[in-house]
Amino acid sequence: MASLEVENVVKRFGPVEALKGINLSADDGEFLVLVGPSGCGKSTLLNMIAGLDSITEGRIIIDGQVVNDVHPKDRDMAMVFQSYALYPNMTVERNISFGMEMRKVPKPERDKAVMEVAKLLQIEGLLKRRPGQLSGGQRQRVAMGRALVRNPKIFLFDEPLSNLDAKLRVEMRTEIKKLHQRLGTTIVYVTHDQIEAMTLATRIAVMQNGELHQFGAPQEIYDRPANTFVAGFMGSPPMNLIPARIGKNGAGVNAEIATADERTLRLQLNGQAASLENRVNSEVLVGLRPEAITDPESRDAGAIIQEVECLVEVTEPTGPDMLAVLRLGGIEAVSRMRSSSRVRPGERAKFAVNMSKAVLFDPETEQRI
Amino acid sequence: MSSIIDRPAATRGGVLGWLQVQLPKIVLAPTCVITIVFVYGFILWTTYLSFSRSRMFPNLGWAGTKPHENLWANPVWYKALENLAILGTLYIGIATVLGLFLATLLDQRIRQEGFIRTIYLYPMALSFIVTGTVWKWMLNPGLGIEKLMHDFGWTGFQFDWIVNSDMAIYTVVMAGVWQSSGFVMAMFLAGLRAVDDEIIKAASIDGASLPRIYVRIIFPMMRPIFLSSFVVLGHLAIKSFDLVIALTGGGPGFATELPATFMYKQTFTRNNIAVGSASAVMMLVTVAAIMVPYLYSELRAQKGVQR
Repeated sequence: MASLEVENVVKRFGPVEALKGINLSADDGEFLVLVGPSGCGKSTLLNMIAGLDSITEGRIIIDGQVVNDVHPKDRDMAMVFQSYALYPNMTVERNISFGMEMRKVPKPERDKAVMEVAKLLQIEGLLKRRPGQLSGGQRQRVAMGRALVRNPKIFLFDEPLSNLDAKLRVEMRTEIKKLHQRLGTTIVYVTHDQIEAMTLATRIAVMQNGELHQFGAPQEIYDRPANTFVAGFMGSPPMNLIPARIGKNGAGVNAEIATADERTLRLQLNGQAASLENRVNSEVLVGLRPEAITDPESRDAGAIIQEVECLVEVTEPTGPDMLAVLRLGGIEAVSRMRSSSRVRPGERAKFAVNMSKAVLFDPETEQRI
Repeated sequence: MSSIIDRPAATRGGVLGWLQVQLPKIVLAPTCVITIVFVYGFILWTTYLSFSRSRMFPNLGWAGTKPHENLWANPVWYKALENLAILGTLYIGIATVLGLFLATLLDQRIRQEGFIRTIYLYPMALSFIVTGTVWKWMLNPGLGIEKLMHDFGWTGFQFDWIVNSDMAIYTVVMAGVWQSSGFVMAMFLAGLRAVDDEIIKAASIDGASLPRIYVRIIFPMMRPIFLSSFVVLGHLAIKSFDLVIALTGGGPGFATELPATFMYKQTFTRNNIAVGSASAVMMLVTVAAIMVPYLYSELRAQKGVQR
């Protein structure tokens, strides 16, 4: 159990700046997820927290203590790797107990700890086997067992589920969440899968190209993305970023959006009117999640709803709901409707836009307004 | 209508079609025949000769087990076997350990690795004759290292193993190790490079020091490479002939005689083809004793992969 702070951490490989001053913190018992596309520096950051990579600038602090120059084995962390990194020449039992053996824990104690962890992860029957004889999911469990048995201050997970098939991935995701609820240990978890990030995290750090774009609670990141990158990366299908122009009429400030049939939709932006006064007649991007554009019957109660009429280009039934693609402001906007919705491609239909969920971005700086 | 979907080879009649089907077999046939006659045929021929009354020329007269009895009554044969035991153990052992050691050091991501690797690998490109000749000069007390030390003023220095009948076999070991350890190194380096970086990271988080990671985790992972290097070095040791001929000629006396040189001398200079053949058969049996279990385990492993 421990708190973690990352202060202005920079990593350079020669002239290349892999991490450009990252600031993060996780309180005791938090589940911190680092998410971003490959090459964004999230694994490098995790390796630096683990002590496997040196820190060019900045500080990493665990429980109030700077650990920049502390050897990985003395940081009291355990890590689960993407490839599981099991020792192929040892049995599952030896794999799990190797860390304790290196720390000179007596044999009876080791055996007891291995049995406890094996029971927790339901791998008692596999203890005498070698990693080569296990399936992917079983290896994953052994790798987790190896981390759990040490009872460390912080768990580090480096894309632990990305080598599993889709069904097993969902299962293990739940398992990891249960484990966290049960143990309450601080976890730092790296993934490129935004769904994993949303479901597991208590706080998410969205990274790209060595920069931290947003750091906050999952719902906050989902509802109020800091910039267009976060808006597009989190959520599937991603947030619609609809080009619009700020206009003003008797009812207040609104966003004017061109439709496919050369009409103009006016979406009232009354909630943010004051801050938009100086942007009248300038271009913005209106960010709307697919579920904020629905059929009028399934609109959210208590939200600011505005009904618009629009031409449907394509419909994509997914089972639980139906995605309808509309052309708004020159882009393809996705709306999420009930699966029983009767919209047809090529026909006009009414949509309820939840304006209380709308966020605006500056098209130049790509930051939220 | 049906001919449209058939393969052209099957529909085209005449010589061309026949050729298309038979060509691979025709191309492979000569090598196949050559191998059968000159490898397996001559193995059988040599085996027969080892039970014959051959002396200077092959003689088909049956002599029963007499040549084998003569072979096992010959003290030089025993000396050759003893030398083979020494050479085999030390050559395989030292070359493996040295190769693994060099590979481990090279695996530390050092600068100029490609250049250094080439230096260690080059001896393998030389023939054993060249290696033997060079080492003969270097070890010659009147020409090589000993003379060099004397010229530097260290007159008490003595290094005359090559002319000392108790030590001469170790000079063969030295030259052999020099030649082969680079190759062993290359094999181990390939193996070490295949080790997942994450395993090393996991072990260092687990609290193992670097030497411990190597000894406890990485070296055990090199098991298949230990096996391959044992097989490669083992058969080189058993059939080593040119190195000894170039380095010591089997001398002083017959101090560095090996089964291969013994066989050659019996067959071609002592006019004793039958005994020479008998020793050749013994060598074949020894090599087979190493190769057959190896091939068996390899083939079984391959089957495992296919399944």
